[in-house]
Amino acid sequence: MPITLTQLNTAEVLRYMGCPPEKADGALMAQVEDCARELLGAVRPRWSWRPVEISFEACGVRLENGLLLPGEDLKAHLSGCGRAALFCATLGAEADALIRRAERLDMGRALTLDCCASAAVEEVCDQIEGELQGKFPGCSFPFRYSPGYGDLPLEVQGPLLDLLDAPRRAGLCATANHLLTPRKSVTAILGVSSGEIEKKNRSCLGCPAQGSCQYRKAGGHCGIS
Amino acid sequence: MEFRELLKAPGPVILDGGMGTMLQAKGLRLGEHPELAALDHPDWLLDIHRAYVEAGTQILCANTFGANREKLKRTGRTVEEVIPPSITIAKEAAAGRALVALDLGPIGQLLEPTGTLDFETAVDIFAQEVRSAVSAGADLVMVETMTDLQECRAALLAVKENCDLPVIVSMTYEERGRTFLGHSPASAALTLEGMGADAIGINCSLGPREMPALVEELARWTTLPISVKPNAGLPDPGGAGYDITAEEFAEAMAQLTELGVKCYGGCCGTTPEYIAKLCRALEGRTIREIPRSVPAAVCSPVCVVPIDRVRVIGERINPTGKKRMKEALLRDDVDYMLGQALEQTQAGADILDVNVGLPEIDEPSMMVKVVKALQGVTDAPLQLDSTRPEVLEKALRVYCGKAIVNSVNGDEEVLDAILPLVKKYGAAVVGLTLDKNGIPKTALDRLDIARRILNRALNYGIRREDVYIDCLTLTVSAEQAAASQTLEALARVKKELGLKTVLGVSNISFGLPARPLVNQNFLTMAMTKGLDLPIINPNLEAMMAAVRCYHLLMNIDTDARDYIAAYANAAVSTSITTGAGQAPSAAPAGERTLEQVVIAGLKGEAGPAARRLLETEEPMAVVDGVLIPALDRVGADFEAGKVFLPQLIQAAGAAQAAFEVIREGLSAQPGGGSVSKAPIVLATVKGDIHDIGKNIVKVLLENYGYPVIDLGKDVEPAAVVEAAQKHAAPLVGLSALMTTTLGSMEETIRLLRAENVPCKVVVGGAVLTADYAKKIGADFYAKDAKESVDVARRVIG
Repeated sequence: MPITLTQLNTAEVLRYMGCPPEKADGALMAQVEDCARELLGAVRPRWSWRPVEISFEACGVRLENGLLLPGEDLKAHLSGCGRAALFCATLGAEADALIRRAERLDMGRALTLDCCASAAVEEVCDQIEGELQGKFPGCSFPFRYSPGYGDLPLEVQGPLLDLLDAPRRAGLCATANHLLTPRKSVTAILGVSSGEIEKKNRSCLGCPAQGSCQYRKAGGHCGIS
Repeated sequence: MEFRELLKAPGPVILDGGMGTMLQAKGLRLGEHPELAALDHPDWLLDIHRAYVEAGTQILCANTFGANREKLKRTGRTVEEVIPPSITIAKEAAAGRALVALDLGPIGQLLEPTGTLDFETAVDIFAQEVRSAVSAGADLVMVETMTDLQECRAALLAVKENCDLPVIVSMTYEERGRTFLGHSPASAALTLEGMGADAIGINCSLGPREMPALVEELARWTTLPISVKPNAGLPDPGGAGYDITAEEFAEAMAQLTELGVKCYGGCCGTTPEYIAKLCRALEGRTIREIPRSVPAAVCSPVCVVPIDRVRVIGERINPTGKKRMKEALLRDDVDYMLGQALEQTQAGADILDVNVGLPEIDEPSMMVKVVKALQGVTDAPLQLDSTRPEVLEKALRVYCGKAIVNSVNGDEEVLDAILPLVKKYGAAVVGLTLDKNGIPKTALDRLDIARRILNRALNYGIRREDVYIDCLTLTVSAEQAAASQTLEALARVKKELGLKTVLGVSNISFGLPARPLVNQNFLTMAMTKGLDLPIINPNLEAMMAAVRCYHLLMNIDTDARDYIAAYANAAVSTSITTGAGQAPSAAPAGERTLEQVVIAGLKGEAGPAARRLLETEEPMAVVDGVLIPALDRVGADFEAGKVFLPQLIQAAGAAQAAFEVIREGLSAQPGGGSVSKAPIVLATVKGDIHDIGKNIVKVLLENYGYPVIDLGKDVEPAAVVEAAQKHAAPLVGLSALMTTTLGSMEETIRLLRAENVPCKVVVGGAVLTADYAKKIGADFYAKDAKESVDVARRVIG
């Protein structure tokens, strides 16, 4: 099930860049298009997944292999789910190299590539999520949840990657400080419920634009959920 | 029989098969640490190893694949607790019928530049495993499943520096024939053979049917025995299964005897049954002996440059006679050197010379920093240029690939100091035809020195193909008779010794008018005498044109493809005396002012616009009267929400291009003037690797004339203190993107205060707030790049 990316959502790229899409001029749009093309031509998304049984404990969610995902937020998020699909995805080292090189030549282009890569890894995750949902017919799914959201600590990255055999299957590792490398990568937990569950919006959790988001700074929201 | 004897004996060497699958079949639970099997389930391991010996395995891999201190951290066990019993159990199972290998798998964290793990730390992690295995009596080492050539190098060095055991080094490739990191079998072969591996190979990732193309590529670039341990076919990304049976596996593997493969085994999904059938399939088959010879070549992890035609070595990363480069070195401005590197490769350089020798700087540590940074942005192989053996050794250690060492000469002491390094790290070497008595006048005497250098290199075990001779260019205005001697010496070295030749070309014209004319003609003359590696400024179109024309006229550029690609659409200036890379602008955009160009963010027009303005204005007047006000206007619009981050950065990029031109103008003034204000130290704090925000801040600050000492990402608090002190920086900027790394930010500020560094601290980053900045002791919080400039103005002026 190789993932292929054919296009990116340019409005999303512009939002990550801190520019409301309607304010982008022709030159900027052309740069986004051009960078998207360059990025998609260079990256090779890779991923890995596995289904796990989950149970709820006082201090968090326990996976069937014994790994505890601590905190209240994930517990609340997965309530109603008896299983989950764990997955990881990466754009690979090529994306990092492309951005690193651009930073030495043209910072504007580097920022655009960086934001294209953020949009691309989200797109990869959307595709994976679609594929995984297809493996659980008749089930419902809360939005995918990643370490770093809410009170789920980044410390679980390493054990999650181990469970997914991520270094060998996808070339994806965590640093000693639990950050994913290559950088444009995600680990996620997709809850699986055999019954109906309450629909929640993903909101700003884990949005790559958080911090530089013009809408948030103005006290608003971009409208994407 | 010892492993090295097995390699020499006829017939295949049989390795073992998968371990993980076998442990799971025994009952290892999901999430249980397989590397602890020697402690928790010794009987399982004994059974598995014995089954492989029964199946015909001659080399057992002990169950130590993940037994490094980083991976063991989570288990509460140490390397010394895990490795010796793992080896002992394998030896017991072998009972003299098989050899036992220490199995070294990846550390589990990526090395720089993709990850943050430092090379020497990686060497140390592997060294600990090696020492532990040696004490337990391992017979050899198997480095496997590597995706990073640099990590292979670290493991191989750790083996070589801690024991005499033989070592197989094996990497894992994707179907496109590259590792996850894009590293090629060809680069692995050149590099690892150079560094003294006993065998190299391929394991995991793919099935046996995917092996032939990879084996063929390895075989083109190594004379070493080749080892192959594929999976039981191709995996399903979600499932645990592999797609071929033991019979199919054995049959596909047996075909590899035709390609000369020496060592045969299996990886994921293979079992003793696979190995038993493999043994049977190999019975009675002879391994085809294919004579192999590896041509002269150098490489980076992703790019092999065979010296099979003229290859251009870019000379620009060298402070000699280059004021701007000296300034960059004194200011630790590695970015400037990276820009020079990319400019040269875009102009057509195949290899880049790197020389950072200045008396005022710490050359070894600067060399390491620059080599690492260069390999993060360019795939071109490097020529490491220094006269100091300690600098060369440091550079060779961290260089990933096969480098060129520039240089040795005929002096015995120099040869004995540097050639062992060339051998140890598998580099190629430039030999200058001079010795203690200076540069011989005649071609014959230079040939003698070349021969002496070659013989010494051969005695040290360096391949003839890896010795490149430089017959030395003398300045023709000082010694007119010398040029012909150089050319004759070059021709004779080529013909009589059969060696590749190098020549620094540009010196020839020193002191003459119209230097490019002389340089270009001398280059062409030298190429016709057999020059392989001219060291030139590739940004000078005339020089690259000479190389392209030579390839065209000598029928090396097949069907004139390169020539046509370069010139089909180019309006070539027939005057070569205008020289310098940046031709004077024809000013088509003529009438836009510098201010307009900066506000519109038109980087390409900024330099020419600045140049026009400099015809009538003083450089500082352009900075203060035009550039800064233009940037201020864009900054004010940004704050007002009229323009956005991309436009701000485009404007900054344009201003930066204008700045480079103004800098040239200033350097040309008597006394050399400077635009520089007091410097600012910037760093993304320890543990954090998201540094694009900091890099944007840097560009903006530089535009306002602040020299920035950029320490990069994942920076130790102590390094920030050291830089702030060394450069007497009144302002330090720290960035962090993750909540988890705010602690390092606080620690960095604490240390700056504890060491009484007289500086202000500004912090920024996605998760920071003004309140939090105050709480951790920062003097300022900047919410974006523009505010950082405001802070700098308040602190520095």
